[in-house]
Amino acid sequence: MNSGSAENRDLFPGALEMMILQILRRQPSHGYALVQHIRRTSKDLLQVEEGSLYPALQRMLKAGLVKTRWEVSPTGRRVRTYEITTRGAKHLDRELSNFERMLEGINLVLAPMKP
Amino acid sequence: MTWIQRLFSRRRIEADLSEEIRGHLDERIEELVSRGGVPREDAVHQARREFGNVTLIEEQAREVWRWRWIEDLFSDVRFSLRQLRRSPAFAVAGALTLALGIGANTAVFSVVNPAGPYAVSYPNFFDLRNENAVFDHLVSYRSAPMSLTGSGEAVQLRGEIVSWELFPLLKIQLPLGRGFQPDDEDPGARTVIVSHSLWKTTLGGDVGIIGRTINLDREPYLVVGVAPAGFNFPVGGEQVQVWTTLAIDARSATVQPVTQQRGARMLSVMGRLRDGVSIQQAGAQMNRIAGSLAERYPNENRRYPGTFLQSALGDVVGLARGPLLFLLGAVGLVLLLTCANLANLLLSRTAEREREFALRLAIGAARSRIVRQVMTEALTLAFLGGIAGVALAALLIDLAIPLIGTTIPRIAQTSVDGRVLGFALTLTLVTSVLFSVAPAARLLHDRLNDPLKEGAYGNGHGHGRFGSALVVAQIALGLMLLSGASLLMAAFVHVTRRDPGFQPERLLTFSLGVPDSQYPRARQLEFYNQLLERLARVPSARAALAMPLPLTGSSMTVGFDIAERPAPPSARPSSDIAIVSPGFFQTAGIPLLEGRGFTDQDDSGHPPVLIVNRAFSDKFFPGATAVGKRIQSGALSDARGPQMREIVGIVGNARQSPLGSQSEPIYYFPYRQLPWCCPSVIVRTAGSPASLESSVRSVVLSIDRQLPLFDVRTGNQILALGVTPVTFLTVLMVSFAAIGLLLTSIGLYGVLSYAVVKRTREIGIRIALGASRSAVLSMVLRRSAMLVAGGLIIGVVGSIAARRFIGGMLFGLHGGSPLLLLCAVSVMVAAAWLATYLPAHRAASIDPILALRSE
Repeated sequence: MNSGSAENRDLFPGALEMMILQILRRQPSHGYALVQHIRRTSKDLLQVEEGSLYPALQRMLKAGLVKTRWEVSPTGRRVRTYEITTRGAKHLDRELSNFERMLEGINLVLAPMKP
Repeated sequence: MTWIQRLFSRRRIEADLSEEIRGHLDERIEELVSRGGVPREDAVHQARREFGNVTLIEEQAREVWRWRWIEDLFSDVRFSLRQLRRSPAFAVAGALTLALGIGANTAVFSVVNPAGPYAVSYPNFFDLRNENAVFDHLVSYRSAPMSLTGSGEAVQLRGEIVSWELFPLLKIQLPLGRGFQPDDEDPGARTVIVSHSLWKTTLGGDVGIIGRTINLDREPYLVVGVAPAGFNFPVGGEQVQVWTTLAIDARSATVQPVTQQRGARMLSVMGRLRDGVSIQQAGAQMNRIAGSLAERYPNENRRYPGTFLQSALGDVVGLARGPLLFLLGAVGLVLLLTCANLANLLLSRTAEREREFALRLAIGAARSRIVRQVMTEALTLAFLGGIAGVALAALLIDLAIPLIGTTIPRIAQTSVDGRVLGFALTLTLVTSVLFSVAPAARLLHDRLNDPLKEGAYGNGHGHGRFGSALVVAQIALGLMLLSGASLLMAAFVHVTRRDPGFQPERLLTFSLGVPDSQYPRARQLEFYNQLLERLARVPSARAALAMPLPLTGSSMTVGFDIAERPAPPSARPSSDIAIVSPGFFQTAGIPLLEGRGFTDQDDSGHPPVLIVNRAFSDKFFPGATAVGKRIQSGALSDARGPQMREIVGIVGNARQSPLGSQSEPIYYFPYRQLPWCCPSVIVRTAGSPASLESSVRSVVLSIDRQLPLFDVRTGNQILALGVTPVTFLTVLMVSFAAIGLLLTSIGLYGVLSYAVVKRTREIGIRIALGASRSAVLSMVLRRSAMLVAGGLIIGVVGSIAARRFIGGMLFGLHGGSPLLLLCAVSVMVAAAWLATYLPAHRAASIDPILALRSE
C-alpha cells in the first residue's frame, strides 16, 4: 500500500467527493455501501479505494458538507450513516456545473481531432 | 467547530472512525462468507488485503483533523516521554548530566551577568545625559548607607542615590505619592521615596506619610512616595529601603561637591534605549561622547576614551575578572563534556533501537519522521534537564552568595532573572541540537535496512568509532577540568596560608553611621577623639581608626606627584591610600620598619606627613629608602589645595585587598591631617574580641544616642570573609571537576560496556575456542588504555596551554607546578581504571554457552 496507486485511480481532485455527495443527495448511506454503490453503478469501471474514501469523508465532515449519525442497518449492524447538508448540496451544485463546463471545454478541444 | 472544540472532541472522532472502519471490514467479511461462500478465515484475509493498511488509512483520515505540525510535535514529545519512562536509567542519566551542565553554566552566568559599566563621575554623567540622543532615560545610581533617626533606636538603612529619572526609566507608577521630578535634583532639595516594607514597618504604614519628613543622617527629608511592594532597585541586590536624588551629593562636604569632580568615578549608569535604536548604535554614540569628553578633559578622562556600553563580561572589574573568566572556562568545559556524554548516550541508544527504526522505515515511516523523533527525544530530554538545571542554578546561587561575600563586585545583585533564564533556554537548545546531531546524522547516512537483514546483531561499527572519539575528547576535557581544580586548590592553600601583614587575632572592628551633615569637620574630629579616649578606658582595650580597614576589599586609589620626579598630570603615578589614627599600626600589629609612626601632633597645625608601606617604598623609590622623600597627593583636606608631604616612616606590607596578586603599595595619611568621613574603628583586646562588643556599643551610645553601629566583625571574621571568593571558587571548581570526572567515567564505561555487549557472541566463541579469561580481559583493557592514553595526551597539552593562558589571573599564583598536573593525571587514570574494570570483568566472565545460545 503506497500513495502511488491511490493517485493512479483518482480521476481528478474532487471527483470522489462529487460522486459521494451525489449519492448521498439521493439517499443517506454508510461507507461500505458507498464503495459498493460506486462500483455497481460504474459497472466496475471505478474502484474506490478505502484508502481514499475515509480520508475524503473526514475532509467533507470537517468542511461541513456532510453530517453523520450512528444507525442500525437493515442487516442489524451498527453503521455510521452519512447525510448531505445544505452546504454540501450547494457545494455539489457548484462543483457539478464547474465539472460540466470543464467537460464541455475538454470536449471542444478534443473534437477536431476525432476523424 | 473551533479548533479548541476539535482538540477536545478529537478522541470522539477517532473512536468513531475506528469503529466505522471495523464495521466496514466486518461487512465485507460477512458478504464474502454469505454470498461468495469463502471460508471465514480466508474472508478475513481477503477483506484486509482489499482494504489496505488499516492503521495507515486511519492515520491519514485522522490527519484531516489535525493541526499537523504542532500535533506531530506533541505526539513526538508524548512518545519521547514514554520512551524515556521505559528506560529510566537513560533518562535520569541524561537529565542529570544536563542539569549539572546547565545548572553550573547558569549559576556562573548569573554571577558574571550583573556587572555593569565602568564607574562614571557626576560631570561625565551629566554630559552623557545631555548629549546623547539614544536613550529615553539615563539614570545614575550609587549606594549610600543612611541612618534613620527620630523613632526609637537609630537604624542603619540601605540607601540609593539616584538621578531623578529612575521611575520613568523603569516605567513604574508608585502606589502612593509620586516619583522624583527634575527639581528634586536641585542642590538644596531633600526628597525621599521609601520602600514598601520600610513604610509598613518602621514608618507605621500610614498613608499620611506623603508630605511628612523623616530624618536621614539627621537631616529632614520630605517623603514624596512609597515604592510598590516587592520593588527593589538595583534589581537583585539586597533590599534598598530609601531612594533619594543626587541633590545630596551636590553638598559641599569636602572641598568640592562630588557632583563637580570629574575624576570621582563612583556611579553606575543605566539607560532605556529609545525605540528603534540598537545597542550597537547606542554604544557607538556613547563612545563618541566619551571620546570627546576624553579630549575635553584629558587629565580625568584620558584613560576612559570610550567603552561605556560593554558586554556584561567585559565590565567585571578588578580582581574578579580573572577568577570569573576561569570559572566561565570551567563551566564551558563541563558543558562540552555534558554534550559529549549525551551524544554518546543517545548514540548508544540509537544503536540499540536500530532494529526498531528499521522496522518503522520498512512499514512506511518517513526517514525524516524518525530523525525528527530522535531530535524531539533529545529536545525533551534537554528541556527536562534544563528545568532541573535552572532549579539547580537557583539553589547554587542561594548557597553561593553568602559564601562569596561582597568581594566580587556587585555579587549581591546576583539572581536567576529573565536574562539568565533566557541564557539557560538558549543553552538548552544549543545543547540539544549539538547532541542530537550525531545520532540523527548517523541515521541519515546509514542504510537502516541492514540490521533487519543481519538478524539480531547490528555491528555497531559507526557507533564504535564515533563513540571512541567522543570518549577521547571527554577524557581530555575532564583532565583539563581536573588540572584547573588542582590549580585552584593550590591557590586556596596559597591564599589562606600567606601572611596578611597584621595580627587578626583578638581584634574587633566596627563602623559608625556618622552623618557628615551633623558632624562638620571640627565636630567630627572631636567626636572621634572622644571615642578613642573613652575606648581607651575600657579595660585591656586599645583602639584606633582606619579607613578603609585592611582586607575588607574596599580601597581608595589616589594619584600623587613625586617631588624629585615631577610628571605631567596624565602620567602621574597612583596607589591605594588609607587614613589612620596614630595608634593604628600598633593596634593592628603592623610592624614599623623605618622612621617613625604617627603621633597626636600630626594634625593640621603641623607639617603634613605620610607613612608608606614597604611595597610603596620599593616601587617608587627603588634602591633607596622612602623616608625623607616628599610627595604631593591628590587627596585634599581643605581649600588650600594639594600639599607636599614628607614620608616619615615605612611599615610592613599589610594586605589591603585580600586577594591581590602581590603586596600593593599603599600610603597612609594621619587622620587629623585628612579627616575624611568616616573611619572605621579597630579595637585590640586581651580576651575574646566578641565579648567586648557590648561595652564598645555602650561607649558609642554614651557619646551620641543616635549613632548606629554596623559591620561589627572580629579580625578573624574579616580574614575569613576576605578569602571567601577563593573558597567559593575552589569549592565550585572542585565540584565541576568531580562532575567532569563522573561524566568522563560514565562515558568511558558506556563505550566499553557497549563494545562488550556487541561482541558477546564473538567473545563467547573466542572463549569456547580456548582463549583464556586473561586474554579477554586484556583485550578490553587494551581498548580502554588506548582511549585513555589518547585523551590524556590531548588533555595534558590542553592543560598546559590553559595554564599559560591563565597566567597570573589567580591570586598571584603562576602556572602551577608540573606536580599538580601529575596529580590530575593520576586521578583521571584511577577513575578510568574503575570505569574499565566492570565491563572488562563482565567480558571475562562471559559464559560461552549462554552467549551462543542467546541467539
